[in-house]
Order: sequence, then structure tokens, then C-alpha cells
Amino acid sequence: MTSLPTLPATTTPTTSDTTAPSTAALPRTAGRGRGPARLVGPVLSVAFVIVLGLFVLGPLLWLGVRAFATNWTYPNLMPDGWTLQWWNTVFQDPNLQSSVVLSFQFAFVTMVVSAVLCLPAAYAFSRFDFPGRRVFLIGLFATNAFPRMGLFVALASLFYAFNLMSTFLGVVIVHVLGTVVFMTWIPAAAFSAVPRSYEEAARDAGAGRFTVLRKVTLPLAMPGITVALIMSFLASFDEAQGTYLVGNPEYITMPTQMYSLVLNYPPQVAAVFSILLAIPSAVLLLLVRKHVMGGQLAEGFQIR
Amino acid sequence: MKPSRRHRLGGLALASPPLILVAVFVGFPILVALAYSLGQVGGLNSTIGTIATEQSTVDAWYKVTFGAYRTVFADPRFQRDLVVTVLVTLATTVIVVVLAWGIALYVRLSDSWVAKILSALAVVPMFIPVVIASWAILTFYAADGFLRSIAAHVGIEAPIWGYTITAVVIGLVWTNLPFATLMVVSGVQGVPDALIEAARDAGASIPRTVVSIIAPMALVPTVIAGTFTAIGTLGAFTVPYFTGPNAPKMLGVDLADYFQSFNLPQSSVVMAIVIFIVASGFGGVYVWANYRSAASSGRV
Repeated sequence: MTSLPTLPATTTPTTSDTTAPSTAALPRTAGRGRGPARLVGPVLSVAFVIVLGLFVLGPLLWLGVRAFATNWTYPNLMPDGWTLQWWNTVFQDPNLQSSVVLSFQFAFVTMVVSAVLCLPAAYAFSRFDFPGRRVFLIGLFATNAFPRMGLFVALASLFYAFNLMSTFLGVVIVHVLGTVVFMTWIPAAAFSAVPRSYEEAARDAGAGRFTVLRKVTLPLAMPGITVALIMSFLASFDEAQGTYLVGNPEYITMPTQMYSLVLNYPPQVAAVFSILLAIPSAVLLLLVRKHVMGGQLAEGFQIR
Repeated sequence: MKPSRRHRLGGLALASPPLILVAVFVGFPILVALAYSLGQVGGLNSTIGTIATEQSTVDAWYKVTFGAYRTVFADPRFQRDLVVTVLVTLATTVIVVVLAWGIALYVRLSDSWVAKILSALAVVPMFIPVVIASWAILTFYAADGFLRSIAAHVGIEAPIWGYTITAVVIGLVWTNLPFATLMVVSGVQGVPDALIEAARDAGASIPRTVVSIIAPMALVPTVIAGTFTAIGTLGAFTVPYFTGPNAPKMLGVDLADYFQSFNLPQSSVVMAIVIFIVASGFGGVYVWANYRSAASSGRV
């Protein structure tokens, strides 16, 4: 059992864009003349796009418009009037403000802690052949198979015993647990995709182990690492149930706040808050969109 | 290059921090919870055991009781919700995989604008926090939502899907679509052009090429997409909590209710373990698929 970066036939080249291989390499005959667009007809293609577009974007637009609505009468397709008052409500509520700040703090700390703990491990899983390597890699995955809510219930006893309930550290632990799989698997695949010959060439040229890591391996594995960093930032940013169970009432983050907002405020306030909460996710993921679509994520979930 | 013994131990040492973290904060609590579900209320379970009501307990460390499991499995509400949870999981997984395959084939076999739009659309949900997605989907399919409004304009009385199992499936498909699509697209893209062309030159139709050439080669990513969707769906909380009905509920919501609202933590833990056992079944398929791919490319 070796961890050599053999790229089997079923793997996309990790550095290229998703659409690149098909558009560049596929001959015109397969692309145009006999494609499924021809087969099922352009009408069906357009219908598929419209239905999927409505399915994916419809709810978001429907909610987004609400943030600027005075009132909305069924069955009108537009609100009765437009206003910015709900944004004022959100920006002037100190509780909501502090939850915004807190969310960013947790997300940042979680990302850093998770990186410090998991990145060296990812490197080890990729480059060392130690006993139980594969078992451990799959063992990390077991954290996903136990239902989150059940895990938090189970964690409660332990947290009471360690005095971690309603503490910053307790919440960070819960958040980091949700990132371990990404932070280990995706960078491990990225490290494996760095050809060993590059590292060996650098070694032959006289570079030490750490110079090779710093100058050759890390830069080449950076796209995968970046995807993992951003995914774990967002995992923390989105985490609600565990934060509620462990952090309540001391630490209320934005997603936790959403639960009570939906029940206690007008729907327009929840809509404003939704937009605010979605902005960081959207911006960060747009930054790494190319790598996510290009296979860094998909690559990380195939155990080698 | 034969790794030396020191090299191997160094690897294990580097890999240990996340392993220890997971062992302490996931593995160990699960074992403690398992002991609690079997009637152990000493040690770490003493706090929870004191607060809780209606427990099945034992008086010595070497004894076990399956009383809690009997109670939970005899509860008609649990029986109904277990069936619903499994059915929702199967429906969601099938729909997600079918959609992901449809998109992946478009992307692979055609370079039209349709392919580009479809693959971009499918990834959008990844950019949106689940809490918001659930809330957005609920309002979209609610009694005064878009679907009913637009139907009312053309004179149709559309069904109310808000707070129904249909909305739960819609929400779970929505949230699981990006990951499955990325996995399947990556797998289908990996099929070499030469193989597809050869099949087409030999006279194979598009469906025939898909079934005989592309599908077998993209099997592993498909299985990974399916198992992750199934496992995520089995224990889902946020989507069914926001969009689902009061009855039946999915088990993820039930176990939160039993813990927080009914003060029946033992039943809650039993449910978590039942979900875990079902999820392990799906997880086993995933491990098998990975092992198979590793074996076929000579990596084991």
C-alpha cells in the first residue's frame, strides 16, 4: 500500500477548470452533432434550465425581495410597497450586531485551530505510510455518520464534566469537529497530487526537507488547502445546532439567532438577516469557485 | 524508497492531532452515550441520569438492559418516524443522484450554454447557509408563497407544500445537490474521450455509451455522492425542523425534541444510535466503493 500520487483514469486533472477538458478535448462531432441537446430537443433543454433555475434560485429571490417589502398580499407576485426600515431594525438591534461579530470570531478561530491541527495530518496521510493510515482516514469519516444532533446530546455530559458548557472554547471545539473531515481529506488529496519527482528534484538540488515543503509542496497544494480553509470557515459560520446547545445563552451566533428571529420578528427582518448571513459565504466561495468546480473538493473525498 | 521505522512513526505523530480530537470528542462521547442507552447511569452519565425521566437503568457496571431500546421501538411515533426518515432519505438520494447525473452528462457530452448554466446553477446552494435555505424554501412553497401565487394567477389551486414532507424532500435535495453534482461531474469528466469516441465509432448510441462506458467508470464518485447524501439526510435537523410538519417528523428533529422538550435523553440517545447504525450501512457501501477503486488501480 503506497500513497504515491498515481492519478487513475477516473480522475480529473485537479488543476484545470471543470468545463475545460470537455470543451478543449472533445471533437466537434461528439459535442454538437450527436449531443443530448440534439437528442432530446432544445425545448427540453431550455425547460430543464428553467425548472432547475426556479428550483435553485426561486426561493432565494422570493426571500431576498421580502427584505425590502413593506407588506405582501397573497397572491400578488410583488410586495405592496418598498422600504429600507427592516435594515434599520437589524442594524440598530445590539443583540443582532453582537451575534454578527461573534460569528466572524468563531469562524476565524475555528479555521485557524482546524488548520493547525489538521494540515500536518493531511500531509502525513499523503506522504507517510504509517500503520493504520487508511483505517484512520476512514475513522475520521465516521464523525459524519453519527447524526450531528445525537453527537451534541452525547457531548453534553462530557462538556458538563470538563466545564466547557457556555464557554468560548466549548463552542470552538464543536465547530472544529465539523471541519476535521474537510480539513484533512481535501488537503491530503492536494498534497498527493503534487508529483514526488518535483520534490525529489528539489532535494537533489540540495534543498532541505523544510525548504522543499515550503517552496515546492505547499505552493502546489495551495488551491486544495485554500478550498479546505474556506470550507471550514463557512462550516463554522453556518453551524447552528451545536452552538445553540453548547453556547446558549452566552454565545449566540448569527445562525443561532436565525432560529429565534424566524419565530419572534416579522418575516422581513429574517429576510434582511438572511442576506447579511449569506454575503460572506457567497463572497468567500466565489473566491475559490474555480478550484471547487475544478475538482479539488471531489478529489478530496476519494480515499487513496 | 522503503520508509524507515522512524519515518513511519513520524507520520503517525503528525497525523495524530485530529485523530485524538475526534477520539476524545466524538468517539468517547459516543461510547459513553452507548453505555447510557444500555442502562449505565454512573460516571459521566450521572448528571444526565439524575435530570432525566423514565430511564431503564442497571445497578452494576457489567450489566446491560435493552429496556430503553424496547421502549423506543414500541413507541408508535418512533416507528412511524423511522419509516418516514428512511423513505425521505431514499427519495432525496435518488432525486439528487439522478439530477447530478443529468447535469454531468450535459456537461460531458455537450459544450452548449445549457451545460454551463446547469453546472453553475447546481453549485449555488453551496453558497447559502442551510438555515437560510430552509427558511427561503419554506416561504417559497408556503400557503402565500410563490408557487401558490403564480398558480392563483393562472387560476389553479396549487398544493401547500410548506410544513409537509414534500417540503422536507425539496429542501434536502436543494442542500445536497452541489456536493453530489461536483462528485458526479468530476467522475464523468474523468472518462477519457478516446473511450467515448471508440464506442461511438463502433456504432453505439448515446444512451448505450452512457450505460456501457461512462456509467461503470463513474460508479465510485456516484456511490460517494449517494452515501454522503444519504448519511447527511438521515441525521438532518435544520431542513426538517424549519420546513417539516409537526407529525410525522424526521428522527433528527425527534431526537432533539426528546432531549430538550420531553426530557427523555435516553430515548434520544437510542434514536441517535439507530440513525448511526443505518448510516453505517450506507457508509459501508462508501468504503467498499473506495476500496474497489483502489484495488482496481493497484493501489492496495
